[in-house]
Amino acid sequence: MSTLIDIRELRFAYPGNQAALSGISLNVQRGESVAIVGANGSGKSTLARILGGLERPTAAARALVCGADLTTLEGRLSARREAGILFQDPENQFVGADVEEDLAFGPENLGWPAERIRERVEELICAFRLEDLREREPHMLSGGQKQRVALAGVLAVPRTLLVLDEPTSMLDAAGKHDVLAAVRRLHAEGLTVILVTQEMEEAAIAARVIALDAGTVAFDGPAATLFTDQEALARLSLGLPLPAAVAAEVERRGRRLGTLPLDLEGLVTALREVVS
Amino acid sequence: MTGLGMVCEHLSFAYQAGEQRVLALRDISLSLAPGSSTALLGPAGSGKSTLLLILRGLLDPDEGEVRLGGVGMADRGYAEAQRSVGLVFQQAERQLFAATCEEDVAFGPRQLGWPPQQVQEAVAEAMERVGLSPALFARRHPYALSGGEQRRLALAGVLAMRPRALLLDEPFVGLDPAARRDLSAILRGLATSGETVVLATHEVDRAWELCEQRVVLAGGGLAASGAWDFAAGGVELLESHGLQVPTLVELWRRLGRPLAHPPRTATAAAEALA
Repeated sequence: MSTLIDIRELRFAYPGNQAALSGISLNVQRGESVAIVGANGSGKSTLARILGGLERPTAAARALVCGADLTTLEGRLSARREAGILFQDPENQFVGADVEEDLAFGPENLGWPAERIRERVEELICAFRLEDLREREPHMLSGGQKQRVALAGVLAVPRTLLVLDEPTSMLDAAGKHDVLAAVRRLHAEGLTVILVTQEMEEAAIAARVIALDAGTVAFDGPAATLFTDQEALARLSLGLPLPAAVAAEVERRGRRLGTLPLDLEGLVTALREVVS
Repeated sequence: MTGLGMVCEHLSFAYQAGEQRVLALRDISLSLAPGSSTALLGPAGSGKSTLLLILRGLLDPDEGEVRLGGVGMADRGYAEAQRSVGLVFQQAERQLFAATCEEDVAFGPRQLGWPPQQVQEAVAEAMERVGLSPALFARRHPYALSGGEQRRLALAGVLAMRPRALLLDEPFVGLDPAARRDLSAILRGLATSGETVVLATHEVDRAWELCEQRVVLAGGGLAASGAWDFAAGGVELLESHGLQVPTLVELWRRLGRPLAHPPRTATAAAEALA
């Protein structure tokens, strides 16, 4: 594995404001899937924007994303090519009059020949199941459909890193499921994924969780470790996924369940063994 | 506070999008009893927000009738009845505008022409109800508050007008887990204090925890209203519209337990299991 994100002591402040990030250090290897959690205002979205090359760090001992130095303009431009970023509300991300045109925008900007753009758009339409939407206006789609089109648009050009900033928070259950399934598939295909989320159920799925607190890294490790640390969860304004909360309450009542189950599947299995 | 009963009869509404008319609600009839708490569920685009806007009087239905506390749209006193319906919009904190918290919360009551003393009392009471003690927060700038506090302040601005029915559109979106717990506790208090509460949300676990009954919209039509009824088709109903079944109900189903009264909270589930 090679290092994709290598950040040391990174600081960032929006002009005229207090520091949003005050000394972040983190390392992400190619192919990893990392969830970033933390209270409102802890710096999650700012970090996502920096990783996507959209903001210039105020200071950093090292700020490398896909080998590019984020403290230089060339580095940020390079990071913007390597890293795709998807926001909570994709509305502002659409440029095309219909879905096909929107998907063609990235490749067009890279100066691809028309034939190759056409092929790429077809691939995306197939991969993201957009067949029925190809001539629809992006703004008129449902929330889940919009987010799928935006994700396809971000990935229209080759990417090394995918940064998602609360991509499911405005979606219904079906929309959430669609977007998360697409992200899981992309990760399985080798894409490195950074997922900013307020949903503890989503964080629990990631192999590694980073928790921010007032612009610093307060936790960096496996989800299972974070979710067994009640004191840290309270301090960081986090919580347990609902199945884990049930398990914790059952244990508090003297029934040992073993390893804390983080999802419903795990909880059902653990309970079947101890509850008659 | 006496809750306001709300009745819809054969409501239909279409938005005008360029040349096209897009049907948002189709023949909706339902009755929300005074003091009831109702989750308004449905896939994105099913008409939830439109229904809230009509109940608040910000949109007029193309067809059908709304009755608030027995007063119909054509009756005298309907405007008065509408003023007792409060609506908390999605991301309501975006509407904060005053230089201090108390000024922001006071805006609504002042618009109603209440005397200063009554405004002051209503502001203090509303801030207390959302857990923002006036002693600590009255003079603070709304933008200096955390995201969760801002959302609660916006809720206080609606509560200060002493609504008899409170409509909330996706109040949990974007909040961190601690802020969601705080807001849940406040909404639980409201649901038991007499106001009629309607909660439109995608978060089925929260809806099941907080609301005694549910209305399900699908494609602008009414798919179901009334009790959750998990023992008699309620699970299948949610699934058939692509909605999530509450985690604790799904847990009970997977454990083969009866679905007549599944637990609404993790604590209640643990008590039943341990």
